Amino acid sequence: MTRSLNDLRPVYVVGIGWHRYQNPSETPYVALGLTAIRAALADARIEWPAVESTYVAAALLGMASGRPMLRHLGATGAPLMHVENASASGSTAFRHACIEVASGISDVALAIGVDKRNPVRRAETGIGHLAEDAIVPFTHFALLTNEYAVRHNATAEDIALVAVKNHRNGAKNPNAQRQQERTLDEVLGGKRVSGSLTSLQCTPIGEGAAAVIVASEDGIRRLGIDAGRAIRTTASVGRSERVYAPGAGFDAALTKETADLALAQAKVTPGDIDIIELHDAFTVEELHYIESIGLCPEGHGVRMLKDGALDIGGQCAINPSGGLIAMGHPIGPTGIGQIGEIVMQLRGEAGARQHRGARTGLAHMVGVGAVCYVHILQK
Amino acid sequence: MQPSKLLKPELYSAGSGDGDGATARLKGGRCRCGYVFFPMQTYGCERCGSHGDPLTPYELSTNGTLLAEATVHLHADKNRPAPFTIVKVALDDGPVIRTLLADDSARVAPGQRVTGRLVPTTQSESGETVLDHRFSAAS
Repeated sequence: MTRSLNDLRPVYVVGIGWHRYQNPSETPYVALGLTAIRAALADARIEWPAVESTYVAAALLGMASGRPMLRHLGATGAPLMHVENASASGSTAFRHACIEVASGISDVALAIGVDKRNPVRRAETGIGHLAEDAIVPFTHFALLTNEYAVRHNATAEDIALVAVKNHRNGAKNPNAQRQQERTLDEVLGGKRVSGSLTSLQCTPIGEGAAAVIVASEDGIRRLGIDAGRAIRTTASVGRSERVYAPGAGFDAALTKETADLALAQAKVTPGDIDIIELHDAFTVEELHYIESIGLCPEGHGVRMLKDGALDIGGQCAINPSGGLIAMGHPIGPTGIGQIGEIVMQLRGEAGARQHRGARTGLAHMVGVGAVCYVHILQK
Repeated sequence: MQPSKLLKPELYSAGSGDGDGATARLKGGRCRCGYVFFPMQTYGCERCGSHGDPLTPYELSTNGTLLAEATVHLHADKNRPAPFTIVKVALDDGPVIRTLLADDSARVAPGQRVTGRLVPTTQSESGETVLDHRFSAAS
């Protein structure tokens, strides 16, 4: 018989840390990563030797980037492994750190995401294509934006409101790459990218780092960690794309089946969720995914957005960090940074971004491939 | 008539009896399980995993219905100078494919009928006209 994460021994996030997401710079990834790890250790109030295992999420750093970074913490000999899973690299690293602790193999594990904006290289499959080289991610999502707008009678202005909200949230986040509020006119008037998407509706790929430390109850007790600030992971699900009905949006279909499994695992309903960090690399995605997760019926996302239901302080705060659009998307760190934001919110330590009374948070990432990861954390 | 050649002959052919390639046929595949896909490949069926003999070539009509369009304003790859328009088309024969709209096509919108053609793009070094597949609004 197989078991889900939530059937194993409880696993808690006990430490979170970042290096701010930022535009590409001369700062080596080693410095970015060490800043985030040391912040997470300080947050947990533990020392590096307590970490028994490390998962390094990086998509664009090439082979074996972990050890040249981790050795500067003091070489303890603890195992480390690298996780590359496109945009979901960080989420995947977090999942496997949780599994290792939940299984009893380790009491304390680290997931560290770090990346620099290097060229994406994908191997040839040997199968030809008509013009896939002309369809980069922003054009994939520009096509989905056109479909959503026509099917649900939504305007370009309606969809751009996602960016207005997420820039507003990001303006309050010191770890965000973009920290500036934007009006609807500014969002719509920016550089045109593809279809109706403008640059402020697209994630700015940059660099940065995010780290989380997970621990068992044994580890928390043994190391004297403050259990009152520990946030439990109550669901972890990873999935990959299947064959869907022709023309169905696979990102949304895959999100729905992954989120359904996670909600069942945590034994919660969409109405129980207080905050969601989701993959809003492009504005239309936020509407697709809140509908797929089940916050509202398909096509009703714009109504929730306009009613303020998705704001901090609303029914369910979506991307209180600013999301990929404003906080940024340095690839490896992104999914780990989402977990850090949810932990901060559930602890009540999110300051100006605090969604009051947050008890249940959901983190969602999709990655090219496609893969999808959903985690649920609860106070 | 100028000699011509196809840019990607493994993916499409000129419609029969149509020497200048005004209409196109796509080289898809069909699995014994009934799944129809594009392009043809023999690695294995995405739906059922069968490989080898169960996968056979299956020519697809390029008639279809437009699901979405996007005019691309920015594109880093200099081999594809922007602007150009990408269309997502549900072929009458099943698969959904995405590729370029012909430069001379009338404007298109979701729900509209489209058809694939082989259109001149560049000249080869030996002076042949190179034809590539594009969609156009159905006339």
